[in-house]
Amino acid sequence: MKKKIKLALAQISSKREDKKENLRKIEEFIIKAKEQGVDLVIFPELSLTGYVLHDQVYELAEVVPGPSTKRIEELAKRTGMHIIFGMPELSEKTEATIFNTAVFIGPTGFIGKFRKMYLPTHSVFEEKRYFRPGYQIVAFNTAIGNIGLIICYDLFFPEVCRLTRLKGAELIVCISASPAIRKDYFEILTAARALENTVFLVYVNLSGVEEGLQFWGGSRLVSPTGDLMAKAKYDEEDLVICEVDYSDMRPAEAFIPTLRDLRPELFDELKRQSETL
Amino acid sequence: MKLTTSVLELDLSEVEKRIKRFIKEYVENAGAAGIVLGLSGGIDSATTAAISSLAIGGKGVIGLMLPEEETYSFKDIEDAKIVAKKFGLKTKICDITPVLEGFYKTIPIFDKADKLCKGNIKARTRMICLYYYANKLNKIVCGSSDKSETMMGYFTKWGDVAADISPLMDLYKTQVRALAKHIGIPTELAEKPSTPALWPNQFAETELGIKYETLDLILYGLERFMTTEEIAQQIGVKKPLIEKVKDRWLSTEHKRRLPLAPKIEYRTVGTDFRLPRHKY
Repeated sequence: MKKKIKLALAQISSKREDKKENLRKIEEFIIKAKEQGVDLVIFPELSLTGYVLHDQVYELAEVVPGPSTKRIEELAKRTGMHIIFGMPELSEKTEATIFNTAVFIGPTGFIGKFRKMYLPTHSVFEEKRYFRPGYQIVAFNTAIGNIGLIICYDLFFPEVCRLTRLKGAELIVCISASPAIRKDYFEILTAARALENTVFLVYVNLSGVEEGLQFWGGSRLVSPTGDLMAKAKYDEEDLVICEVDYSDMRPAEAFIPTLRDLRPELFDELKRQSETL
Repeated sequence: MKLTTSVLELDLSEVEKRIKRFIKEYVENAGAAGIVLGLSGGIDSATTAAISSLAIGGKGVIGLMLPEEETYSFKDIEDAKIVAKKFGLKTKICDITPVLEGFYKTIPIFDKADKLCKGNIKARTRMICLYYYANKLNKIVCGSSDKSETMMGYFTKWGDVAADISPLMDLYKTQVRALAKHIGIPTELAEKPSTPALWPNQFAETELGIKYETLDLILYGLERFMTTEEIAQQIGVKKPLIEKVKDRWLSTEHKRRLPLAPKIEYRTVGTDFRLPRHKY
């Protein structure tokens, strides 16, 4: 396994309901990243379709793996890179059950997927109206490290990152479609989740405007000590190349031993209390 | 939460940036040749005209002045011209008096003593002129409504509120005034009393029965689910006034929505037909 990897934070704005155009843009960014020797390129939440879809999501969702992931697989094989992106996923067993999914593809094909666990349904968000929540925490052991996936609002629930870390993730990838009014929260939470788990955390947000929602970009890589290692522009499309050196984790863990100091019995109490909220 | 004037303070540079981005992206995505807006000489339309010009360039913005005999104000026309000159937008004047007289003569039950019904004809006539320009010149209509007046239902249904976009609609009146000064609207104009110009000497604060400084704080509290008791306690205003504001806000929701249809079929327009507004 590589001890150092190069990431590309592909902060794109998607064209709503236009998978063909978005796949074209994804390919364009992948090729740019390849020119810089990148191992893993990451695209935002629902980057295949855009975020504000409403009822059109039923037309746009696809099974995973499926036609669009096949296109990305071809690109991954051709470039020898790993790719993560977001899309609405149609359940294989039903006709209209959809997940908000992060797809992980490597040079040898489909690696796995993560279905968003916490679906915001408040303020301008209406995800529970359309999506079924995911139930599986994931961390994939790959040639470029143990990589966990989460999506946007999952970041507000520390247990998601904590479980991902406990499953072995060294790098947590959070793909997002966050509008500007939430910017401050994500800037705090990305640092906090990395620090409290002594893990690398990469956050890749949409840019662009969809129905008055202005996605703020600001994608970033945060170190296991909570330091900002790389940051994309606010509001605009951007491609930021940065490096993860997994050997930084040992000194971070020794200095901030949150994993050593975990208290399992508190989680039982957490479960009890949250059931009676 | 402490309900003081400071809660209405905004990062005005950030707000300016967000609104400009919103306008620019919308116009570009719509494939429109620019914006047409009603330029009354009041603070909301002056701010909308200015920020639209900053967003897409004054050459793409037409400020339509739509005076009529009964409420004609030389000062308003002059104020509108000052803003147009400063921000480089084009202006056109359409005197709507003959059209209004046509309506008055045409409607069999027309009652000239009914100021409100008559005034609404004026607002809707202005809307028709704006949409004519937009259709003819491939532009979009940019509305000037602010949040205070929109929440109060203080507008003419399908009249002054009718537009393709409303860049100021999430800003309370006092916030619009602050933004206006921030982007360079002269202070005298930014502080000018608001009027819908539906009849002579009509002033918004007199009609609403409350100063915008107080109204905005009440609306801010209601927006954040505060109770009328909490708001009354915090800002030192009697509860009946707050209840009156709340009642007016809730009873005018119909003015802010599409017409209600009975639920009969699978998906219903305006209810559960949830589609993106555009294909882009």
